[in-house]
Amino acid sequence: MSSQSCVEVHTEWGIVSARQAGRNKAKEIGFGNVDQARITTAISELARNIYLYAEKGEICIGEVSEMGGAGVKKGLQITAKDVGPGIDNIREVMADGFTTSGGLGAGLPGVKRLMDHFDIESTSGEGTTITAIKWLR
Amino acid sequence: MNMEVAHTREEDKDLLKVAGEIDAYTAPELREALVPLTEKEGNLVVVDLENVDYIDSTGLGIFIGALKSAHNYNGDLKIIGLNERVHRLFSITGLDEVIDIGEEREEAK
Amino acid sequence: MGDAYLRLQEQYRKILNQYLENKNEQGLYHAQQFSKKVLENQISPEEVVSLHLSTLEESFPDIPKGAQDSFEFLLEVMIGYGLAYQEHQSLKDRQRELESEIDVAANMQQTFLPSGIPEPEDLDVGVLSVPASKMSGDYYHFVHDENDCLGVAIADIIGKGVPAALCMSMIKYAMDSLPEQRLQPADLLANLNRVVEQNVASNMFITMMYGSYDVRAHTFQYAGAGHEPGFYYSAEADEFEELSAKGIVLGIKRHAEFREYQRVVAPGDFIVLLSDGVTECRTEQGFIEREEITRLIRNHMHLSAQEMVNHVFHELEKLQGFQLRDDFTLMILRREV
Repeated sequence: MSSQSCVEVHTEWGIVSARQAGRNKAKEIGFGNVDQARITTAISELARNIYLYAEKGEICIGEVSEMGGAGVKKGLQITAKDVGPGIDNIREVMADGFTTSGGLGAGLPGVKRLMDHFDIESTSGEGTTITAIKWLR
Repeated sequence: MNMEVAHTREEDKDLLKVAGEIDAYTAPELREALVPLTEKEGNLVVVDLENVDYIDSTGLGIFIGALKSAHNYNGDLKIIGLNERVHRLFSITGLDEVIDIGEEREEAK
Repeated sequence: MGDAYLRLQEQYRKILNQYLENKNEQGLYHAQQFSKKVLENQISPEEVVSLHLSTLEESFPDIPKGAQDSFEFLLEVMIGYGLAYQEHQSLKDRQRELESEIDVAANMQQTFLPSGIPEPEDLDVGVLSVPASKMSGDYYHFVHDENDCLGVAIADIIGKGVPAALCMSMIKYAMDSLPEQRLQPADLLANLNRVVEQNVASNMFITMMYGSYDVRAHTFQYAGAGHEPGFYYSAEADEFEELSAKGIVLGIKRHAEFREYQRVVAPGDFIVLLSDGVTECRTEQGFIEREEITRLIRNHMHLSAQEMVNHVFHELEKLQGFQLRDDFTLMILRREV
């Protein structure tokens, strides 16, 4: 992965900075306005989870590429990593309907929908790492 | 279809006053209020149903569960203040044989 | 999505420009039709905003920068709606899935009930069982034996819906696995009680009335486990009496004993067994009285047993505004004249 920029999230300002970093990178890669808004919304949700529930954590934004059938595919990757309580039941937070609870992990199904690729790893009591990618069409 | 539960701790027992209807919708709330009281060692729990006009079978189930739980902790469950309709239900189901539904209404007041 | 999206984009451009030119109702009607298409193609609201903005920029190249930016702002706002809409769609799909699962289970449950109604000589039998929702916590059962006795059981499992239905299947298997030789009603209930007591959660229980009708002697022996009393109609006195059998519900006491009762059934007499869904029928005025049920039965007494139960059900259904609050089971056994 080339040029990755990371933002520490421990205030609401951190959420805004993470969004800004995401938007800049999305524009640079060439995403249109709709996808830019989707990417920043996904960053918002991930950053809020860190801000509200984890002791500390950061959001990293980077460009990724992959060889596909039609040549090289470019994309934007978000990595949200925190040291926090972790999520006990990932299947539960990934189920629709959980969003409304407003608790830890709320909004993750939304993030998965906004992005093309979504991956989560969490250890109870240690923390959570979420990786999400949006490919440029 | 509403139910209210008021809990008071008296010298030697927990008193739970219930008002409204106990059915499949309200029963879980009653269970949450009632069962923990029965899990205190040797505790007597008295449930006053004076202001309850209807209980369905799910409601009866809550009392059965609470009775068994009370017995497990060497305690007891007593139900008082039953109106005619509710009394008939306890009598038809034979539950008056296992739960004390004594006429304690005056005393409890 | 690519092609469909391009076509929609083209269409939107056309109808929007048409509307801006003519500003008439027909144009707005096109907009409404378009929104249906957008939903069909699962285009999210933020995409519609973006579509609108790009069309606007094409038609009005000198649109003020502030107006343009405000659409970017709106787009951000609409993302949440789009997510909520997609979640709603996925929950709807899941609901459909669950419903079809329940349909399958409900069909399976139907096979637990007797497929026909027994027709012993001199005895007219009618039965109707209707669940309040898809699955039932009521159960009934007929057993013929070689001694010309017809065994009838009616049971009501606490609660209703899926949990009650699961418990009902247990009762069915417990009844099927009772010893071959005929049990007296009281012994049968004591036997079932042991099975239920060992197999259900502490707050579950089952009520049951079990009777055995001797078709030659015309006697009805019965016992009850906390079940809603039925009725006995005596033709000679032209009166209904309560048919109750005292006993504790199944599943509470490990060793329960049941009392046995007997009736000699005269020609024209009949026995009514029911679940509490019949007597706890609730109208806007409150619960109906048991007398109301005997009145309804009396009104249809000239009909066959099956027609009687059907009519009583339809009238009670009407009284409750066609909404059943509990599972309904009604059974009539009449000695023919």
